[in-house]
Amino acid sequence: MQNNIIITGVGGQGVITAGTLISDAAIAKGLKTVMSEIHGLAQRGGSVSVDVRLGNAYGPIIPEGEADALIAFEPMEALRNLKRVGKKTIIIVSTEKLPPISLGIRRMEYPDINEMMENMAENFTIYPVDAKKLAMEAGNYRALNVVLVGVAISTGVLPLNVDDIIRALERRFSGKLMDINMKALQLGIQAIVPGHVETH
Amino acid sequence: MKIEELLVNETNIELFLLGNEAIARGALEAGVMAATTYPGTPSSEVGDVLSGISRKAGMYFEFSTNEKVAFEVAYASAISGLRSFVFMKHVGLNVASDPFMSSAYTGIKAGLVVMTADDPSMFSSQNEQDNRHYGELAHVPVVEPSNPQEAKDFLIKAFEISELERIPVLFRTTTRVSHMREAVKLGPVKKELFASFFEPDSGRYMTLPSSAYGNKEKLIEKMKRLSPVSDKSDMNRIERYGTGEIGFITSGAAYNSLMDVINMRKLDATVLKLGFTYPFPENLVADFMKQHSKIIIVEELDPILEARTRMVAQIKKIDSEIYGKLDGYFSMSHEYSPDTVEKSLSEILGFNITQHYANVMIEEPAPRPPVLCPGCPHRATFYAVKRAVRMLNLKNVIYSSDIGCYSLGTYEPFNEGDLIISMGSSIGAASGFASATSQPIIAFIGDSTFFHAGIPALINAVHNGEKMLIVVMDNRTTAMTGRQPNPGMPVKASGELATEISIEKIARAIGVEHISNVDPYDLASTLQGITAGLKYHGVSIVIAKRECAILRDQKMRKEKKWITYNVDQEKCGKCMNCVENFSCPAISLQDGGIVINPNLCDGCGVCAQVYVCPFRAIEVANNAK
Repeated sequence: MQNNIIITGVGGQGVITAGTLISDAAIAKGLKTVMSEIHGLAQRGGSVSVDVRLGNAYGPIIPEGEADALIAFEPMEALRNLKRVGKKTIIIVSTEKLPPISLGIRRMEYPDINEMMENMAENFTIYPVDAKKLAMEAGNYRALNVVLVGVAISTGVLPLNVDDIIRALERRFSGKLMDINMKALQLGIQAIVPGHVETH
Repeated sequence: MKIEELLVNETNIELFLLGNEAIARGALEAGVMAATTYPGTPSSEVGDVLSGISRKAGMYFEFSTNEKVAFEVAYASAISGLRSFVFMKHVGLNVASDPFMSSAYTGIKAGLVVMTADDPSMFSSQNEQDNRHYGELAHVPVVEPSNPQEAKDFLIKAFEISELERIPVLFRTTTRVSHMREAVKLGPVKKELFASFFEPDSGRYMTLPSSAYGNKEKLIEKMKRLSPVSDKSDMNRIERYGTGEIGFITSGAAYNSLMDVINMRKLDATVLKLGFTYPFPENLVADFMKQHSKIIIVEELDPILEARTRMVAQIKKIDSEIYGKLDGYFSMSHEYSPDTVEKSLSEILGFNITQHYANVMIEEPAPRPPVLCPGCPHRATFYAVKRAVRMLNLKNVIYSSDIGCYSLGTYEPFNEGDLIISMGSSIGAASGFASATSQPIIAFIGDSTFFHAGIPALINAVHNGEKMLIVVMDNRTTAMTGRQPNPGMPVKASGELATEISIEKIARAIGVEHISNVDPYDLASTLQGITAGLKYHGVSIVIAKRECAILRDQKMRKEKKWITYNVDQEKCGKCMNCVENFSCPAISLQDGGIVINPNLCDGCGVCAQVYVCPFRAIEVANNAK
């Protein structure tokens, strides 16, 4: 068995934490897990990605086309990683736009997001989610990563269930923060309603 | 995981650890009593962990001024009888190479392990030098782990080798080992009280020609004795898959990529996986070659294992076919992935690769290069420097930059970086430009880099009477590697109080007469300081002092003083200066208007100042959180 997940986003969004959360849950379930983190130069604001590999993988780098899921915390970062994914890869994408400064310097605006989603949906199974709204509803913007983990769980792409993630959250959080993260997880799980899913 | 979890003295548990965290745990299990470093990615997290747990573990730990000092502190501890560990990024070993080379000649008393974290593909470095060469150059043993579990276990073995022949051992990781996470089985923590006492040992540590002459022969003998140890080491092992027909020799992170390909393609392979790579296990490799007509060497960067394998084949007259980099099958640059290894193997073994990726043509999105954080004081300083240069109508300015977050000033919209070559080089190179050209020169250097290697260069510039403006980007931390303390702060690595070293006093003592202290968040005074500095005929310094935005954020959140700004659309004149020239990631152009993302805004308020927003349209938002 092998399950490969690329998680990508912008530095500061909690991408690495999402990777360790999934990994913690997988390890507790007895799955061999390796994960890679590439930090780059910037503390925040640069492109960040994490590869999580569950099962019989040796190295932390997911081979081209072998990802089961791409969890993108930002639409442009989803596009940037399409060159790494395969036909089987399902794409979960948070629809919140974080325009890179390279746009403003050229007086340009963020590309049309509906068009971006449509382009992706032509070739891949994609699940767009307003994760920012759900995280705020849960009580904190920073719970965005847990919302997206919740979405991933609900698609069935991970060899993990809700309880596995809850236990991993419990090892990490308590009190009010745990409540917020629990709510974020629940909202993520319920985010995809029938008809909302775009498939090719 | 909480850092304290690494202190547990239980052996039956597994923790999900980053390679660097596993190495810190390895230091506890090896009974390390003294550890030193200068932070540098990809080695930084080892220090972050040790600074958090060293006091509880009864270990001495420091963030030293630079790698050379770190090495010397660890070396002195080791020859005083304490197991000592010094770690750094690959280019850091260049700085420490002077004492490192000679330490092999004197030898040590208790174990000394020197970790170099190499960076194939240069994720956060200026080059991708292969530091395994330092083993051969210095005549010291080299150990190369492939994953976090090995990183922890091999570190302990490296200390054993070090004490076996009283020789420093080079412990080499790469980014993908240091920054790979997996479940790591813990071993017992070694708690031995070493008696630390320095014995001069008849001048053994005096590297004068008279003693060095004899020490060289002793060093060669030590390495000869370690050769059979390497042959028999359990860090070097053989694994068999399928019929085991093809012989592979590999090490480090390349082993992981190779194994993924062997698994994916079900190759009939026997893998000689080397972890103790120098002295080269010659007999082991010779025997291995005799059993395989085809030998493929898979290693990242330079063909070090390959060259030695070919040497062994020549000396022992073994006629196996050997494939690697020297015949062009594998690349000499950048890290390997399963895909690149598969491609090289397809050429050697003659199989076809089916394309795995979707190959969907989608336009590459706008780039998102590394940027200064929202609220970063450096953004304000770069903005002010650019404005001052324009106001004074200076042409052909040379921006001599340095290594730290402010390296990012090189990128648009500031473009204030023409040269970054090594730590502290901003001032050394500025000195050279000043004597070689008549162009205006601005050097940027951070607080930690100033202490690391800027001071000798400043002495040189002042002594030789050069003209330059040095902007010290003092953000009260070593920011880019994860905010470690430096000598400019009143705190030690362990959290105890320390003597704060004043950059201004150092500069004055050296003889710099024109010094301005400015707060970058106050653009008016920053501009004034920079303008005055640029007009001065001699070495002038502007100390732009303001703590790193991430440190400030943590405080503001704790004190619940967090504020954010937004744009009054009626006042906004849409001049676009804020997005075009200030370029904070929190500010963007949307639906024809300027907006500030409240989740990214740091509340520094620099964009609200008239120098950035002439319409005064940026105001404190009411939504304080």
